[in-house]
Amino acid sequence: MRAAGRLGAALALGLALALALAIGPARAQPSEDAVKAAFLPRFARYVTWPPASVPVPAAPFHLCVVGHDPFGGALDRAAGSELIDGHRVAVRRMATASQSAGCHVAFVRGAQPQDTARLLAALRQRPILTITDARAGPQRGIIHFAVVGGRVRFFIDDAAAAERGLSISSRLLAIAAGVRQRRG
Amino acid sequence: MPGGDDRASAVKNRRLAQILLGTAAAVALPAGAAAQRQPPPPVQLASAETDPDLSQLSIEELARLPVRSASKRDEPLSAAPTALYVITGEDIVGAGVTSVPEAMRLAPNLQVQQVNGFEYAITARGFNSVETANKLLVLMDGRSVYSTLHSGVFWQLRNTLVEDIQQIEVISGPGGTLYGPNAVNGVISVATRDARETIGGLVRATAGAFERTAGARYGFALGETGAVRAYANWFDREDLARGPIGPAIDDAFQGWQAGLRADFAAGASHFTVQGDIFDNDVDSLPGDGHRGHNVLARWSHDLGAASSLRIQGYYDYFERQFLLAFDSLQTFDLDAQFNAVMGAHDLVMGGGIRTTHDRFVNNLNPFALVPGSKRLWIYNAFVQDRIRLTPQFSLTLGIKAEETSFTGIELLPNVRIAWQPSERALLWAAVSRAVRTPSRIDRQLEFQPLLLPAPDFVAEKVIAFEAGYRGQPTARTTFSVSVFFNLHDDVRTTDLVNSSPVQVRLANGLEGHSYGLEAWGNSQIASWWRVGYGISTLFKSFRLKPGHIDISGRDALGHDPDFQLFARSQIALTGRLQLNAGLRYIGEIDSTPAIGAYVEADASLSYRLSDEIELYAAGRNLLHRTHVESNDPDRAQLAQRSIHAGARLRF
Repeated sequence: MRAAGRLGAALALGLALALALAIGPARAQPSEDAVKAAFLPRFARYVTWPPASVPVPAAPFHLCVVGHDPFGGALDRAAGSELIDGHRVAVRRMATASQSAGCHVAFVRGAQPQDTARLLAALRQRPILTITDARAGPQRGIIHFAVVGGRVRFFIDDAAAAERGLSISSRLLAIAAGVRQRRG
Repeated sequence: MPGGDDRASAVKNRRLAQILLGTAAAVALPAGAAAQRQPPPPVQLASAETDPDLSQLSIEELARLPVRSASKRDEPLSAAPTALYVITGEDIVGAGVTSVPEAMRLAPNLQVQQVNGFEYAITARGFNSVETANKLLVLMDGRSVYSTLHSGVFWQLRNTLVEDIQQIEVISGPGGTLYGPNAVNGVISVATRDARETIGGLVRATAGAFERTAGARYGFALGETGAVRAYANWFDREDLARGPIGPAIDDAFQGWQAGLRADFAAGASHFTVQGDIFDNDVDSLPGDGHRGHNVLARWSHDLGAASSLRIQGYYDYFERQFLLAFDSLQTFDLDAQFNAVMGAHDLVMGGGIRTTHDRFVNNLNPFALVPGSKRLWIYNAFVQDRIRLTPQFSLTLGIKAEETSFTGIELLPNVRIAWQPSERALLWAAVSRAVRTPSRIDRQLEFQPLLLPAPDFVAEKVIAFEAGYRGQPTARTTFSVSVFFNLHDDVRTTDLVNSSPVQVRLANGLEGHSYGLEAWGNSQIASWWRVGYGISTLFKSFRLKPGHIDISGRDALGHDPDFQLFARSQIALTGRLQLNAGLRYIGEIDSTPAIGAYVEADASLSYRLSDEIELYAAGRNLLHRTHVESNDPDRAQLAQRSIHAGARLRF
């Protein structure tokens, strides 16, 4: 009885393995991080900065990764294929917020959630579109990534954007999973 | 030395003690240890080489694209210099797990014994059994849930919806200053998802010969920056077969848990309010089972760039009834924590106050807690400084003081060094002191005239020396290894009183050491295939201190395997079909009677019919119809093969 049960289980596992070999690798489905990396350089397209912060002709938008970088080369490739009103998107990586002058978009991720909070607070005075990831903790920048229903979605804090003089297009607001409205 | 008759009565006493301890009921805990730490972020592998070109997609298309979840199993390469394993919510759901204690099997640094249909014994670094797995701190969303009755954890009270779990952090070893007492051999911190990330509905149902479950949740936005979700979870498990030595227990287990969680953000503040209510029954006698409720509120506030404040309070109540023994515990807890960065110093300080009120009524046998009802007050204060000596090298100094109205003050210092030569590697070492503060049973259990109370019972102590490495040796591999050497003192014995042949009393008669190694890794072999593996080993050596005799046969040391091996595989057969399988080898547990080594497997095959509907079949303990995991003389039943089919619907 017991031996039969073991045999049955072994057969089931064997069958599953055979099935695995027969079907083979999955159809290429992008990874969560690749989609986030694809989003990051795009956001600048839907945001208007205060005139003083708009890059001069031929100068790039600066996409900064502040703290830990989970994307690596995927972000460089995504940024490399982006052209926004004639501006390229340049990726800069930095450990602390002190080098953030000139950043237009900043993906912020500390080693610990409280580090993320500190980095965000340090960036709060600047006209920077801050972006955070739910996977790193509950702290939220203006845009906050979260995987909802197997898709990479994001929340937008439009009130925080308004405080920094940023204007977010209705097209981006329309696809957000949630929006905190600006006042007035 | 006791003669033959004395040994016979000693054995009887031991049995009685076990019965009492076993039927003893629950209280919550001393320790202001409520989650003073948020889970650290996981490091992810950039596996973009295998990703399709996304540059041609519109931003709307990106938002609609189903994604392969990133390598979430990777341990966070955080600066935390501890032996840390993270079980993600996706691991739990992917493995077809239907209960919180079963999810703990996914952590290679835990030892899990299913004792019967509703009880589990779970520990890290030794001392396992229902009564002796008492050196672990368990937090559920910041609520400390180990019991002041016996310092163990009643897992049958924790029936969170598994789909709501974001992650379970498992630290083996003393967790450090921030976790406080009872984090002697480990800390388990279960975190559920932010309500803002569970908008929409989910319904799940499973059915099998052994177990049926159903669960549902619904989350919706509330106001501009908040969200609320409500959930309910129901289960019905069959009676397990009689165990190797003890009696058959009618341990069929069924019940429900429901609750709410709300999260709100306002500027630099974040509020969380949550609560649960549950009721479940064990078939042993009419009325046997567990009931309770809890509510928690937490406020976090960033005070500018360099500091933050967090205040948390909760109320928790539960009661247990089993075989004519009843107990209840009511807990109020308030904690505050302040973080500040000042130059190279990263300071954390805080404190907490907790009060518990318990009640214990035993109509089963003459064991009693005297007094039968007691209020305890527990205060704690802590400070920790992480000093960045160089960009790669940091030193952490921490100390926590804890005082209870029951047992007096304890000081828990620890020193940790961390060297991060690159973003891909962390080397660390630590020395910590930790204690298990006496429980009500340690001091106030009586069985007149045989067992006398032990008002002088002191805390069990450990000094832990640890070292480890955690990193990403290659872009597709994560690996962690840690070693530990623990010096134990004042571990519980059952002593004869004044060499009397009949009177016994609990005492702190054992000292000794233990050491071992824990290692695990994950490899993304191909974009569609991921494997994980782990090992943990344990060696214990204890001796009686002068003047002590332990008639319990060193029962307090528990029953542990010398080593455990784990392997897991996650295969994306197609974009819609996923096969997960796990194998575990648990070494022989040297005890009387011995528990033989065993190999067991679990597997789950899931098919995503559409974006909304997922069908799956899962099984655990597939290799044997039944097997023995625990040799608890009064409670152990046989773990058994269980297969179920399920469906999950999201909307």
